[in-house]
Amino acid sequence: MGRIVLKDVAKSFGDVHVIPPLNLEIEDGEFVVFVGPSGCGKSTLLRLIAGLEDVSGGVIEIDGEDATGMPPAKRRLAMVFQSYALYPHMTVRKNIAFPLKMAGMDKAEQARRIENAAKVLNLTDYLDRRPGQLSGGQRQRVAIGRAIVREPAAFLFDEPLSNLDAALRVGMRLEISELHERLETTMIYVTHDQVEAMTMADKIVVLQAGRIEQVGSPLELYHTPRNRFVAGFIGSPKMNILEGAEAEKRGGHAIGIRPEHIAPSATTGTWKGVVGVSEHLGSDTFFHVHMDGRREPLTVRAGGEVSLHHGDAIFLTPDEEKIHRFDHEGLRIA
Amino acid sequence: MATQHSRAAARTMISPAVILLLGWMLIPLGLTIYFSFLRYNLLMPGANPFVGFENYAYFFTDPAFWPAVINTLLLVGGVLLITIVGGVLLALLLDQPIWGRGIVRILVIAPFFVMPTVSALVWKNMFFHPVNGLFGQLAKGLGFEPFDFLAQAPLASIILIVSWQWLPFATLILLTALQSLDSEQLEAAEMDGAGALSRFRHIALPHLARAITVVILIQTIFLLSVFAEILVTTNGGPGNASTNLTYLIYAQSLLQFDVGLGSAGGVFAILLANIVAFFLMRMIGKNLDL
Ligand SMILES: Nc1ncnc2c1ncn2[C@@H]1O[C@H](COP(=O)(O)OP(=O)(O)OP(=O)(O)O)[C@@H](O)[C@H]1O
Ligand SMILES: [Mg+2]
Repeated sequence: MGRIVLKDVAKSFGDVHVIPPLNLEIEDGEFVVFVGPSGCGKSTLLRLIAGLEDVSGGVIEIDGEDATGMPPAKRRLAMVFQSYALYPHMTVRKNIAFPLKMAGMDKAEQARRIENAAKVLNLTDYLDRRPGQLSGGQRQRVAIGRAIVREPAAFLFDEPLSNLDAALRVGMRLEISELHERLETTMIYVTHDQVEAMTMADKIVVLQAGRIEQVGSPLELYHTPRNRFVAGFIGSPKMNILEGAEAEKRGGHAIGIRPEHIAPSATTGTWKGVVGVSEHLGSDTFFHVHMDGRREPLTVRAGGEVSLHHGDAIFLTPDEEKIHRFDHEGLRIA
Repeated sequence: MATQHSRAAARTMISPAVILLLGWMLIPLGLTIYFSFLRYNLLMPGANPFVGFENYAYFFTDPAFWPAVINTLLLVGGVLLITIVGGVLLALLLDQPIWGRGIVRILVIAPFFVMPTVSALVWKNMFFHPVNGLFGQLAKGLGFEPFDFLAQAPLASIILIVSWQWLPFATLILLTALQSLDSEQLEAAEMDGAGALSRFRHIALPHLARAITVVILIQTIFLLSVFAEILVTTNGGPGNASTNLTYLIYAQSLLQFDVGLGSAGGVFAILLANIVAFFLMRMIGKNLDL
């Protein structure tokens, strides 16, 4: 059980209003990802839910119960910190046992749960080591182990993978997703990594300056971003935004087109430009195309085998169906 | 220092420093050991014959010897206990965002800057004195008989004075250690259901273990040789009640003018310090390899 509802939750540090009143519902068993640029208040929001910060206004409900004034321990939430926050002087076993010991659970039950968690997380061989003797990925798993033994109502993750190298991130990403499938517990996950957000989430919450810009499934956000900010934030490489004549021709103040929805050609096309930098990734090639009257190059995705080089002329044809139109305020025109 | 030539040159260059340092240490030590085997009393000038271990025998059988050893250990242990418990508590307090924290910190550190003789005199005359002292006045004001601290509880009074001097040192070291504790660890413990006391017991205290050992080591070295506080307050008395080894050596060599006996005591003090240091090092070694 882990239905979390935020009603008009706000937070300010002195005069700085980090989070203006905000409403959000998180269903039981959902995997929710908070994304947003650095400093937008993701961690703060997570800490408000955890109870590590007091709200400046509003109500937090967990399973229909008002949890606004509850101390963190009473909320039945478990948090995995970015720095892991393991206890350095305790062995892995003691680290994982700590929340159980604090709850006064009997020894046999403690041992059973620790064995279980260690098996799930592949930690059995490391139970008697100290955190200092583990690799980053192993430490991360210990931190997760310490969270799951409590059988919490929901897990809170604050950028848990940002200290790991790329290969390990992919592995841990899958492990966390799998854990979610198995436990079916609510998880709230903070990241600013696109790919993590898109691949793991049932629901993505895009934040900017403490405000929720859009809430939806990864594909909803990709296909129908509500405004220019979300359009630019979801998808990699970023969506191209064009203003002026081309936009007006299509009935908007600005239009957006993703790099993968533009067909390049050496001979014919709607728009004409000059190839700047090209990035060859093997499976794909990204061209940065310079066009007259635009300062920023347009990013275009081509297949792996396109022989166009720096300085060549290039013709581009956008897929008219896939063009997003935005009005003066940056809101989507349906 | 690749070539033989440059090695020789280097050796020549550093030799004055090495010789000076060695001489600085070895000559006093050698002389002390040498004197400890002589009958050498300044009141009986003349020959100073070699007498073997006679001085040591006198020193160990001196009625003041065992009381002095016990007093020394009580003094060191008592001060360590007070400064570490008090230091941890003060560090916890100063780590809180209380109002006027900067001023409180300076106040806490201030006693460390006061010379031992001065602070002992201040305590003796302004606090402990049964007639003029603050405590005496207070007792009288409340209708009690004033307590003559230095006469009735001389060692405890000296422990109090020395603790007051060393508390800032312990507090300072423990405070810096406490501030290096990762706040996320405390928050994690809070989420794990640990109350304030459990957080202190399971997270903060183990984190402080290393700093506490450092405090114990450094303070022990200095506390074994407490002298000025005793000299200006009780003169080791009444009787031997507040005589520690340092003071006993002083009393024998300078009050009784017996250089040989004092030297023997000095050699014993060196041995005792080394034994204590040996145990401390083992303790630290265990604690440092976390
Ligand atoms: N204790 C505090 N006092 C004052 N301002 C704070 C405090 N904690 C956070 N802030 C401010 O609140 C804003 C949001 O911080 P927060 O840590 O939630 O960002 P974030 O979205 O997690 O960023 P990042 O992705 O870099 O971790 C920031 O502008 C930060 O400066
Ligand atoms: Mg953050």
